[in-house]
Amino acid sequence: MVHALRQARRVLKSDGYLLDLRPAPVHRRVGLESAGSIHQLALMEEEFDDDYKANQAVEQIVDAGLLKLSTRIRFDCTRRMDRFIDFQRWLDEYIRLTKVQRPERLVEKIKDGLRTRRASAASHEGKIRIVVLGPVDLRVLLKQIG
Amino acid sequence: MALRVDLEKNEISALKQVTEWRTKKVLEIGCGNGRLTRRLARLGAHIEAIDPLPELIETARQQLPSSFAQRVRFRVGKSSRLEYATGTFDLVLFSWSL
Repeated sequence: MVHALRQARRVLKSDGYLLDLRPAPVHRRVGLESAGSIHQLALMEEEFDDDYKANQAVEQIVDAGLLKLSTRIRFDCTRRMDRFIDFQRWLDEYIRLTKVQRPERLVEKIKDGLRTRRASAASHEGKIRIVVLGPVDLRVLLKQIG
Repeated sequence: MALRVDLEKNEISALKQVTEWRTKKVLEIGCGNGRLTRRLARLGAHIEAIDPLPELIETARQQLPSSFAQRVRFRVGKSSRLEYATGTFDLVLFSWSL
């Protein structure tokens, strides 16, 4: 990661900015959305070792005087999925990038939640979507000459 | 569409908030299927977008509107080996990839 940051800094102009955009190390919340409201079903059990390593790599480069932290913003990012298969595909991809404890338990919770909701849903509730909520961090770092 | 990411547009709002993108030369690392690349292209940036997975780069190329073709280029590439000259870009964005 430090090597990647050094490479990125190298290709920046002298007054260039490096932007580090990635999910915050906070457990995602998964729920169902219908009629404009969200009912939370589960909290994902991610491991954040890689996120902490990335944070350390950024700190190392900043401490070395190669980049200077200019701005940091945290914002919410929500994914909406129409069908269970869409959620399953998203989860498969997420697991490829992030370690998640007991994903099968999460899948069962979502399946159960969908079954229950659909069985009891009145027609006025409209479409039920699976939503995944979690914050994203954006760090802006200014190239330092040195 | 079966999966919608950030309908509220919080991500692009945050990116617009921190810098001007119009005419800027940008390297996006980890562009995936080009979802964010297309949003940045709408802001007027000139973008080199790389990802290590050839299948995602192919998808990104297919989904790029022709109106952005002169300003956006997708390539297979890794952050550990950037094949660009020193001092090329105004902005380098690690797109969910550090």
